[in-house]
Amino acid sequence: MRGLITGLMLAALALPASALAATQGERVKIKGEVIDTWCYFSGVMGGPESVLGSAHHTCALWCAAGGIPVGVLAEDGTVYMVLKYEGDDHVTGGDTILEVQSDLITADGLLYERDGINYLVVETVTANDGLVNLSHEDYDVIPPFAIPKPKQ
Amino acid sequence: MKAIALVAAVALIAAFGSALAEGEDEGPFSKGSQAKNWNLLGQEKARFEAKVVDVLCEVAGDCPENCGDGRRQLGLLRAADGVLVLANKNTQPAFTGANLDLLPYCNQEVEVDGLLVGLSDYTPAKMYQVQLIRRKGETEWSKTNRWTKEWAAANPGAAKAKGPWFRKDPRINALIERDGYLGLGLEKDEAFKKYLFEE
Repeated sequence: MRGLITGLMLAALALPASALAATQGERVKIKGEVIDTWCYFSGVMGGPESVLGSAHHTCALWCAAGGIPVGVLAEDGTVYMVLKYEGDDHVTGGDTILEVQSDLITADGLLYERDGINYLVVETVTANDGLVNLSHEDYDVIPPFAIPKPKQ
Repeated sequence: MKAIALVAAVALIAAFGSALAEGEDEGPFSKGSQAKNWNLLGQEKARFEAKVVDVLCEVAGDCPENCGDGRRQLGLLRAADGVLVLANKNTQPAFTGANLDLLPYCNQEVEVDGLLVGLSDYTPAKMYQVQLIRRKGETEWSKTNRWTKEWAAANPGAAKAKGPWFRKDPRINALIERDGYLGLGLEKDEAFKKYLFEE
């Protein structure tokens, strides 16, 4: 028995500190728009409402491909930072995360709250309603140069 | 609509321009910071020591080799208070994140300098733009400008063409060719471009 306990203690010591600090996630169902979190939080392109949906779709593609954290903006205004998407951990510009930019999704997953930020591991996307936020009707295109002027 | 968009843009620029009077971008970690001003919402200069971590590993215990080799979002576990700071952006004004700039420092102790960003109305915790990084004890800072070099190495054909990476990226261009700039299909895109550029 003493040998077993010693073995377990040594195994615990061998674990990375990060693994020891990790917590159990809370199972959640989130419905929201897949967003570019840098433009949304920083205001670099304008107010948060203007950097969502169709007006900002091209910029969202750029930022997702550029490895900027992708989030899900829920209807209550909470933003969930996506750390994994349906088993794919390539959330820094991977093909899967690029494909769903600006879409309204419903996801089952695990939520980890840490130091004021909500981190989401999306396990299953149960619905994808596509791009339904027609923000270009109010904001045209953000940033204005996202759509290049046709050559004469 | 164009007029509304223009007025909104001018109002936003005015609001952001006036949001940063001298000293207003100071915070608890601003001492000694050389961070450049980006006129961002809730911006605070912040220089601190931290450990570079794979965020998914840190919060969920899912820990592959080498912080996921660039596939994952990385964070900074701040030495002073143990807070996990999400690294959202590098220093390049080119729609680029921070993961490739932090990856060489995976699980290492570093010092970073940059901007904490965000308003409490939208986020309880600020995100971080890493502008400079160095290993703990080093004297020289490195600028966080690796992303576009890595992209050029991975896309040598596209990189030879003129223009910034985001105009040339084959995957982005394929999605725009399929779904349009608005993401609503080519027909709606054409009608919108006609309104935008011809009316």
